[in-house]
Amino acid sequence: MKRKNIMKWLGILMAASLVLTACGGGAEPTAPETTGGGEAKVTSSGFTCPEPSPRMEVTSTELNIFVWTEYFPQDMLDCFELVYGIKLNRDEYSSNEEMYAKLSAGGTAYDLAQPTDYIVPLMIRQGLLHELDHAQLPNLKNIASGWLNLGFDPGNKYSVPYLGGTDAIVVNTDTVENVPQSWADLWKPEYAGKIVSIDDSRAVIGATLLTLGYDVNTIDPAQLEEAKAKLAELVANIKVFDSDSPKTALIAGDVDLGIVWTGEAFIANQENPAFQYIYPTEGPILWQDNFVMLKDAAHADAAYAWLSYMMQGDVFWLTIRDFQYTNPNAAALEYAKTNQPEVYSAYADSPITNPPADVIANGHGIQDVGEATVLYDDIWVEVKGGN
Amino acid sequence: MLKRLRENKSAQGTLLASPTLLWMIGLLIIPLILTLIVSFGKRSPDGDVIYSFSLDNYIRLFGYSTDCDAGQTSCFDPLYLQILWRSLTLAFNSTVWVILLAYPLAYFIARAHPKRRNTFLFMVLIPLWTNFVIRVYAWMMLLRTQGVINLILGWIAGLFNLPFTPLEMLYTPGAVLVGMVYEFLPFMILPIYTSLEKIDNSLYEAAADLGANGIKTFLRVTLPLSMPGVVAGTILVFIPVMGTFIVSDILGGRQVILVGNLIQRQFLDARDPTFGSAASLILMVMTLIVTYFYTRKFGFGEEIVVA
Repeated sequence: MKRKNIMKWLGILMAASLVLTACGGGAEPTAPETTGGGEAKVTSSGFTCPEPSPRMEVTSTELNIFVWTEYFPQDMLDCFELVYGIKLNRDEYSSNEEMYAKLSAGGTAYDLAQPTDYIVPLMIRQGLLHELDHAQLPNLKNIASGWLNLGFDPGNKYSVPYLGGTDAIVVNTDTVENVPQSWADLWKPEYAGKIVSIDDSRAVIGATLLTLGYDVNTIDPAQLEEAKAKLAELVANIKVFDSDSPKTALIAGDVDLGIVWTGEAFIANQENPAFQYIYPTEGPILWQDNFVMLKDAAHADAAYAWLSYMMQGDVFWLTIRDFQYTNPNAAALEYAKTNQPEVYSAYADSPITNPPADVIANGHGIQDVGEATVLYDDIWVEVKGGN
Repeated sequence: MLKRLRENKSAQGTLLASPTLLWMIGLLIIPLILTLIVSFGKRSPDGDVIYSFSLDNYIRLFGYSTDCDAGQTSCFDPLYLQILWRSLTLAFNSTVWVILLAYPLAYFIARAHPKRRNTFLFMVLIPLWTNFVIRVYAWMMLLRTQGVINLILGWIAGLFNLPFTPLEMLYTPGAVLVGMVYEFLPFMILPIYTSLEKIDNSLYEAAADLGANGIKTFLRVTLPLSMPGVVAGTILVFIPVMGTFIVSDILGGRQVILVGNLIQRQFLDARDPTFGSAASLILMVMTLIVTYFYTRKFGFGEEIVVA
């Protein structure tokens, strides 16, 4: 009798475990069904979703995207699910190198990824990407021409821009007396243990190269060797590396200076105006993030639907509202200007999100360095492991 | 067929062990062999594995440069040896702290009224209901410059009109140690408790009858009889601390590099799975050596089965 009971319990446990496993892996579309027009769709925050224009033909019921952390307005994600009835599964990463390592290891089921400019050529070279069909990207016309057809992907055969920005220095002017004006200033002993830095090898090594007067994309081993020694001194001044949310350490008062991205500086500045974003005299690092379709994308139709919907001016303006980076979408800027003047002016009047032309002209873009990638990777790991 | 199985004890054993065996082969042995193969390879500039037989990764791990004639002043760079040593000492220190904290608590629980013991054990286990990473993040809130601990200290200093500068606790090696000790404490409490609880009360009475005082009873009776629990707990704490990278990543601000971080970075930052594999294997070998000598001296600690 007792034994029977044990067997019964074991059976129940196993059944329960199987059910739970099935639920975890299953992809039941939780988004409401499409009703094909009629009543307006409203997100949980009360935002009324614009209708897709044009509405794409979609048979897939889900879309898997692999994207940067803290980078998407919740309303944008919710609206896409609502208007198309597609379940949007989102996984996140916090460095290009991490994203590339996971994708190139294979076995992933993502449809779209979101690499920064310099890593796109590598992904093309490795055959990770699927060529885009421009006929299915009707809203690509909304992107300002200066953001298209760039060196890393001529003709945008593989990528469409998402947002852009700069890497520069953020300073808490309440606590830091001598505000640094250049990358080189960060090496000063007075900033020891007061700096947070994004965990971005190319940006930080790039800034180091600039202080030595070298190009951010150098492939000269001797210059890189010199940069490595120089960088080791900076790492001693850095208290924490954080790419997920470097603003947190700044706002919480753990550090007073940061090497950060546009959006992090903007939010810190909103939180406390004492946080100033300084474009170093050597020039900031410029970058642009892009959507690419992966080779084995199983839901290409849903991916095109997402890209088209996202690029609509009345949808993309949400990024201006929620994630303040430099915006490539002319239609979104136009939409915000007429319909959301406050959001627009906060964006347009801020030198953080809308950098002056001379800053851009002075900036440096990171490029793929081919064989020299090994040297950069080794510098990063060895210098950071050294203390 | 069934009848024959019923009589054949060894076939029964094989059958019962086969699910676990398949699991181990598929998810442990085969990946381990793959790791070994990859560790002899080389990386391509794009981060692919070029299969070959080269010991370069191991040579590099032990500090010797493989392209020494490239004009370097010194060919020996102990960077990775330092990381290994740092992990080893941290694991040792964490284990010692965990024992010092866990033993009195386990003793207290074991000597508590039987009715209350379960409540105390329950309280030890409750934190485990929360995700490991979230618990580490909670320590961030406690340790930061304007965190809870500094706020309380500042308030106390204010009461006595003392000057107070907030302590720098977060993003230091000390923070990593605190995090490790906290995370692995329950794995020491439980085995020690189990072995203490098994000690027959009459042994204490006998010791008292023979004139032993409290300290003597503890040193001659309690401690020796609870050693199996300490040994088991040590194994359960030391090995995971050697390999964990989350605690040092979060509480060390990615500035305290342990072997676990080194391995993770080789795969995700440096795109060099070959060197990462070599480092994983060295970590495993190192842990095995330490555990081997430890268990040869102290035994395996039968409480490991209970825990």
